[in-house]
Amino acid sequence: MPPILPDFSSSVKLKYVKLGYQYLVNHIITLTLIPIMIGVTIELIRLGPNEILNLWNSLNLNLVQILCSSFLVIFIATVYFMSKPRTIYLVDYACFKPPVTCRVPFATFMEHSRLILKDNPKSVEFQMRILERSGLGEETCLPPSIHYIPPKPTMESARGEAELVIFSAMDSLFEKTGLKPKDIDILIVNCSLFSPTPSLSAMVINKYKLRSNIKSFNLSGMGCSAGLISIDLARDLLQVHPNSNAVVVSTEIITPNYYQGKERAMLLPNCLFRMGGAAIMLSNRTTEKRRSKYRLVHVVRTHKGGDDKAYKCVYEEEDREGKVGISLQKDLMAIAGEALKSNITTMGPLVLPASEQLLFLITLIGRKIFNPKWKPYIPDFKQAFEHFCIHAGGRAVIDELQKNLQLSTEHVEASRMTLHRFGNTSSSSLWYELNYIESKGRMKKGDRVWQIAFGSGFKCNSAVWKCNRSIKTPIDGPWADCIDRYPVHIPEIVKL
Amino acid sequence: MSENKVTLESKLTVVSSRPVKSGKTHKLSGVDHAMGYHTLHLIFYYKNEEKWFGSFELDPLRESLSEVLSIYPTVTGRLAREKEEDGGDWEVRCNDAGVRVIKANVDCTIDEWLSSSAFGFDETQLIAWDDMPHDTSTWSPFRIQILQIYHFNSTIPLDNSVVFTHHRIRTNQINKQFQEGGLAIGLSCSHMLSDLTFASSFLKSWSQTHRHYPISHPPFFNPITPNNINNVPNSSSKPQTIITSSTNNIVTATFKFPSSIIKQCLSKIQNTTCSNATPFDFLSALFWTRVTHLKPSKVHNQNHSLSICRDFRKLVKPSLPIGYFGNALHFSNLSIKVQDMENGQLEDMANLIHKHLKEVTEEEIRSSIESFETRKESTPKCMYGSELTCVYMEEEESASLLYESMFSNSEKPAHVSCRIGNVDSEGLIMVMPSSEGGFARTVIVMLQEEELGKLCNDQEILKLEPTIILAGCLVQH
Repeated sequence: MPPILPDFSSSVKLKYVKLGYQYLVNHIITLTLIPIMIGVTIELIRLGPNEILNLWNSLNLNLVQILCSSFLVIFIATVYFMSKPRTIYLVDYACFKPPVTCRVPFATFMEHSRLILKDNPKSVEFQMRILERSGLGEETCLPPSIHYIPPKPTMESARGEAELVIFSAMDSLFEKTGLKPKDIDILIVNCSLFSPTPSLSAMVINKYKLRSNIKSFNLSGMGCSAGLISIDLARDLLQVHPNSNAVVVSTEIITPNYYQGKERAMLLPNCLFRMGGAAIMLSNRTTEKRRSKYRLVHVVRTHKGGDDKAYKCVYEEEDREGKVGISLQKDLMAIAGEALKSNITTMGPLVLPASEQLLFLITLIGRKIFNPKWKPYIPDFKQAFEHFCIHAGGRAVIDELQKNLQLSTEHVEASRMTLHRFGNTSSSSLWYELNYIESKGRMKKGDRVWQIAFGSGFKCNSAVWKCNRSIKTPIDGPWADCIDRYPVHIPEIVKL
Repeated sequence: MSENKVTLESKLTVVSSRPVKSGKTHKLSGVDHAMGYHTLHLIFYYKNEEKWFGSFELDPLRESLSEVLSIYPTVTGRLAREKEEDGGDWEVRCNDAGVRVIKANVDCTIDEWLSSSAFGFDETQLIAWDDMPHDTSTWSPFRIQILQIYHFNSTIPLDNSVVFTHHRIRTNQINKQFQEGGLAIGLSCSHMLSDLTFASSFLKSWSQTHRHYPISHPPFFNPITPNNINNVPNSSSKPQTIITSSTNNIVTATFKFPSSIIKQCLSKIQNTTCSNATPFDFLSALFWTRVTHLKPSKVHNQNHSLSICRDFRKLVKPSLPIGYFGNALHFSNLSIKVQDMENGQLEDMANLIHKHLKEVTEEEIRSSIESFETRKESTPKCMYGSELTCVYMEEEESASLLYESMFSNSEKPAHVSCRIGNVDSEGLIMVMPSSEGGFARTVIVMLQEEELGKLCNDQEILKLEPTIILAGCLVQH
């Protein structure tokens, strides 16, 4: 989307005008109240204490009136507090750090590709081109069964990968939060492509011996945005159940879905998807307020599945040889852009400061009434958020969003570096990005974070968090041993 | 021959735990190019299985291998030819591609395998080697074979045991009860990249990393000679691959000589001809004479010659460390007149070999290195076996290199075996240290099948009470 204001925005003077305008509109209430309060105070001082006392006595208040008015106040206060939605706190979260033995350098990936697809040099070429431009680094990890020549994706190894990822993340979460397994009231596990019986949530319950009256949910098939869907579900449940802890586990199990055929559109996910997972602890207990890292402010979900093209753009099917894979259509980016627009249309009024909303409203009215040729105003989301976590779906997704939202390099740094270090870990990538920001020491109290995820269907989900306490470095997490090397410059094309 | 007791389970690639900086290459020296005809295979046998493997390949062995590969970027690289303008010689591109690891199961007990009645337990079954293809970019020049040696005993009741690794993962049910387990770790590589010393130092580094000890022989990648020899690019096209097939029927047998016998024989020699005789002098003399005996007889005024291959790491100044990557081998020729060998005693032969070894000078070694450098472009020829060759490994160090590679809690290898691929018909004798230590030696002989059969029944050798194991030929007592 092209820049909105006419071009005298380059003038420095205009910058100050903008700043002045923003300050004025955003603090309008304060700015109107202060003169009024000053006026009242001056008036009171002028009247003198005796006059004030006479004024008070002339009100002729009797007991009944005082009681009624105080009851009214108490009643209104109670109704307000009861109907206020419970605050959801994110106490802490833990990301899975893959073992170094699972590392897949480019050379190894291409070598395996050549050895397995030796009759299809065009497919190998295609994979190499994708890998060169992917934005991935040399330290991303694939599960052990994919390291074999040919890969050995058995159900057993898929379960093994699930156990490794989920249990490591959960052990780490328990350690960080001191949470006891029997204190978990709600458990939500989301893993899009692997859905065994019994479910992954049952696997977690079995491993940690969770309570028999736990409310467990297993979301499968919902794509890379399922992480935020799980957060949304947890939020709704925590509104209903007071004083509860919820644990959300987001992961994607790669073993059973590694495409073994030669269709190019289906080979693309093989190049990008990597092992990863995260476990998040949410709570509505007020005792957790002090130590929680974040507070959930908004979750906005947009589903474009009603449109056929959006529905089919990420589609799992069999290729001509009967091998199952996920095919990505070429119009994926355009559809993602559309979904994003829908999402921010809903998100905008919730988070934007008054100055931006006013400008948007004025431009909207102007376009409708005066001149439809006015360019639509794209609100500046940088004023609403300090940090952005864009799902690391691929380099193209991040580039597209950077352009659409007019974000600077620093804003998308977390996403790009997560893509480089961990690859596309699907629903858990948002948590790796958040961890990156924390590891760099950039997260201060009061900072607002916007997490955006895209998924098959086609969905665009966002979550807004507000930082509850400044997070000090160094922190323990998957970035602990490599954060000093980042940010790295990722070339357009890596020479393989 | 023997039933195929080895079942291949899987093939995978292990990469280093830290990425290699891209763009590094390692040029191979002239000596390396000259050795390109051969392949090297080392096998280490361990008796005690312990908990070698968890499920899911996240076993401790693989982790320590990843760790140690981080300091050996050339082992995970791939062979390629330089550009024509730079000479077109072989080099290793350190592209971080990893080593191939092959897992297999062997159905017999380790004692059976290493016992003297083991006819047909041909070690070639334990070596899974692919010859270098035309396109070396996806060919792993180093291969590691991990062979789990077990024996299924049907009299022991089935037991569904569940094994946990340190990640607390449940394995697939192991339904068999194994008895007398064991492990064989094999390392195979193209001889162009590594000689015996380097290969054993790599395995020792791996074992030390596995036990979290510091590495005693870290790798050393600098070339032997600075690149000041101008290679005039040969206008004729260079051979793209190394011719590797060998039609000779070469088999191997291993003779283990106990320490006491060797000591006795040595003291005899030390008292007569050579006061500083080493077990190598004695054994090489013995085998030289006995092998020559088996060959078609020569005319009187001709010579018998022996090519002695030795590691020159310590013989040049400045000396190369053990971890030097590449070949540091010097081949020297020793001739003796036919009648001298027939009339002479074993002690004289031993003395001759001893003097020959002592007399090698640094200038000789340097000049042979240089001649290899100038001959880089030509097709490598057979270095082992075109004449009877004998391999000499420096005594104390090789014993420590080979027999102190311990993976689990001070368990030394039960046996270390070494084979060279594509040995020519004249044969190869390797005098190596033995698990017993002291004066004991293991002599590995590679000869044509009939000749080896006769050698195994040779009285002069049998007098010394060797244990003959891993024989690819019939052994009658």
